[in-house]
Amino acid sequence: MRNDIPDRRDETDESQADLAAAVEVTRQTINAIERERYDPSLELAFALADHFDCRIEDIFDPDE
Amino acid sequence: MSEHTTSATTRPSTRKRYKRIAYGLLGAGILALWVGIAVDRFVLGVALYWTGGLGMGLVQRFSPVELYDERDTTIEREAGHYTMKLFAYVFIFGTPGGLVLEESGLVTLPGEFYGAMWTLFAVFVAYGAFVIYHKYRL
Repeated sequence: MRNDIPDRRDETDESQADLAAAVEVTRQTINAIERERYDPSLELAFALADHFDCRIEDIFDPDE
Repeated sequence: MSEHTTSATTRPSTRKRYKRIAYGLLGAGILALWVGIAVDRFVLGVALYWTGGLGMGLVQRFSPVELYDERDTTIEREAGHYTMKLFAYVFIFGTPGGLVLEESGLVTLPGEFYGAMWTLFAVFVAYGAFVIYHKYRL
C-alpha cells in the first residue's frame, strides 16, 4: 500500500532501524512496508500513526 | 541523531543476538547428534540434540525481545499455504496415479510409496482438524 513513511522518517531524522525499534518490529518489516511489498496489520498501522502523531490515513493511501 | 529513544530490549541488535543464540543452540544440538552417530554414542547424541532443541525453544519463549514480528508470521503462513498446496497436488495426483500404474503392471510400487501417501493423508487430517478448530474460534 502506498505510504509516505520514508518522507516522515526524513522529517524526524530516523533510520529504518530506529523506526522499527520504536514500533517493535524488524527493520526488514519497515523496509517491506516502505517498498509497498507488505501491508501492515491494523495494530502496526496504529503504532505507526501513534509514532508519527497522525492518523493512519495520513500515512497510508489505499486508493493509489 | 534521532530524538526517539530505544530501549535495549527492542533494539534490533538485541533481537539478532537472541536469534543467534536460539539457532546456535539448535545447530549445536544437530552437530552433537551427528558426532554422536559418528562415534557410536547415539543415545548421547539424541539427548544433546533434544537439549539443543529445547534450549532454542526456551530462548524463543523467554527472551526479553519478540524474536519474530508480524511479517515473519505472514511469511510463515504463506510458506505453509504453498507447502500444503504442493502436498495436495502430490497426494491428489500421486496416489491414484501410482495405484493405476501398479495395477496396469507398469511399475511395482515400493512400500515407501504407501508410507508417503498415508503420511500425506495424516497431514491433511491434522490440517482439517485445525481448520475446523479455528473456524469455531474466529
